[in-house]
Amino acid sequence: MKRSSLRLRLLLGAAIAVFLALALAWGGISLLIHQHIETREAAQLRSVAERVVAGLTLDAAGKPMIDPAPSDAAFQAIAGGTYWQAIGPGGSAQSPSLWDQSLPEAAASGDDWTTATVPGPFGKQLTMVSRRIQPDRRARDVIVRVAADDSEMRDALREFDAELALSLAFLWVVLSLAAYFQVSLGLRPLDRLRRELDRLRRSPAARLSDNHPAEILPLTEAINAMAAARESDLARARRRAADLAHSLKTPLAVVAAQSRRARDEGATSAAEGIDRAVTAVGAALEAELARSRAAAARGSGGESNPSEVADGLISVIERTEKGEQIAFSADLASNLRLAVDSSDLAEMLGALIENASRHARRHVAVSGDLEDGAIVLRVEDDGPGMEDAAITRAMERGVRIDETGGGHGFGLAIVRDLAEATEGEFRLGRSKLGGLSAELRWQSD
Amino acid sequence: MRVLLVEDDPDLAEDVARALTAAGFVVDRSGNGEDAWFQGDVEDYALVILDLGLPRLDGLTILKRWRSAGRTMPVLILTARGDWTEKVEGIEAGADDYMAKPFAVGELIARARALVRRAAGHATATLKVGELAIDTARMTASIGGRQTQLSQLEYRLLNFLGHEQDRVVSAGEIAEHLYGASDGQDTNAVEAIVTRLRRKLGSRAIETRRGLGYLLTGQIE
Repeated sequence: MKRSSLRLRLLLGAAIAVFLALALAWGGISLLIHQHIETREAAQLRSVAERVVAGLTLDAAGKPMIDPAPSDAAFQAIAGGTYWQAIGPGGSAQSPSLWDQSLPEAAASGDDWTTATVPGPFGKQLTMVSRRIQPDRRARDVIVRVAADDSEMRDALREFDAELALSLAFLWVVLSLAAYFQVSLGLRPLDRLRRELDRLRRSPAARLSDNHPAEILPLTEAINAMAAARESDLARARRRAADLAHSLKTPLAVVAAQSRRARDEGATSAAEGIDRAVTAVGAALEAELARSRAAAARGSGGESNPSEVADGLISVIERTEKGEQIAFSADLASNLRLAVDSSDLAEMLGALIENASRHARRHVAVSGDLEDGAIVLRVEDDGPGMEDAAITRAMERGVRIDETGGGHGFGLAIVRDLAEATEGEFRLGRSKLGGLSAELRWQSD
Repeated sequence: MRVLLVEDDPDLAEDVARALTAAGFVVDRSGNGEDAWFQGDVEDYALVILDLGLPRLDGLTILKRWRSAGRTMPVLILTARGDWTEKVEGIEAGADDYMAKPFAVGELIARARALVRRAAGHATATLKVGELAIDTARMTASIGGRQTQLSQLEYRLLNFLGHEQDRVVSAGEIAEHLYGASDGQDTNAVEAIVTRLRRKLGSRAIETRRGLGYLLTGQIE
């Protein structure tokens, strides 16, 4: 994943946001629980303290006496963990559990119990409530303190905090995974868009589908509009090139005729130069027309009957000087249908049959059939065939039609380009008749 | 020999006409489709050279009209598009030959001569076998009154079988007649021609005698 990845950005955002929310929740929950437990502890201490105050009297010397003293077992055992102490002007009284120790000083008000956490005797930390009491109007104040060892409670709270943190961390992992799935699911339409754009890049006639989510639909519509504009620009440019090529042919024929006149009048070398130029221009025009035909064939659809097309072509080629000497056989099922425009198929088969009749000795065989779900058309001859190296060279990609010059390679390059444009395959091999076998194959769906 | 030259480009028409005249033809020229159609319909020409892209009436339509009116003069078409579909359309409409622009005028003259020779060179004669009639002048055949165009090889094979009436002729013999000297492989070619003839004339017109050869019966299916 790259740094600018949307997926990474969304995932990081979700993980950080969830982490912050969970950390906040952890702090809040912990604080509430602590407060709640501490309040309950303080309330318990206060109720014990009320009992101490209820039994509080002062003797003549001003020493406080508690009768009855709280009798809980925890107040009896030394360092039992629960302590009370009353400090008067003339001395103090305390629970046996305090032994000879004293509860620490702490601020005490006369109105209500004050709660504090203090370091106690026996090295323990205590929660302590304290209050200033006036037993009767003349006497001086007595300070009453009740305290309990809260280390167990604190240990339990710490444990609770740790467990809470652990479960929230687990929740964080689960939520981050959920975010991952959500992001993946949310970005999946973009993957489909990318595949469709790839197809659009290869074929100018392709379009993005219109069932994308509402959020990216405006984008796909804009892209489609752009693709349509590009396609029509391309088509216009090709039409102009084809029109130009066609319109040059008649003037070219005039020039060719002029060269003949020049030859008749004795200007032989000039005539030869003109002829060479006419041949070169003619080849360039044919190449341009073949290219525009291949481009137009791309994604143009259509349907053809290979049997009819082959019959028509043979009836033309058997009229040519070479074709008159050749026996043609056409073995194509008449119900065979191919999803390629008739005129495109005629260009391919025509070039192949003409090529075959030029190299054949006596016999050219055209056949067509369904093989493994593919429509396969073959043109075979009984001529000398082509060397493997020549076949490889003829089929080489990147050998442009106009680079191969006229004749043999020119026709095969046209066939190759048209076959590619109509999503077919073109192969050359050795025929059982002894010569070249040219095979066209289209997967039928 | 009168030739009708139908070409709308004046420069090209001028040059072709000059070359035809030099080759001994008498040339009538026409620059648009309607005039050309009328001229070809009422005058007798030894040959028509017809450009397909014409103003007012296109060449293919003219050719179809002539043929359906029973005009049988040989027609050589000139095409600028030069694609196979147009060539097939031209031949199916009744053209005898085609040339794609730009062409060498010398080749045009040679082809024009060949067409004229083919049409005029043979004495009119019809060979009849059963329901089959072979027109040796126009190198065509009809069976049960239905006309069929034949390629040169098909015609020669059919003509050979016609002259060997009531005799079973072996494939090797036919190959020898068609190709002069022959080897074993040529019988494949003979079989291919017979198959095509059967498609044009019906499967019973030529019978196969297994191991012996072919017999022309001229029967209708």
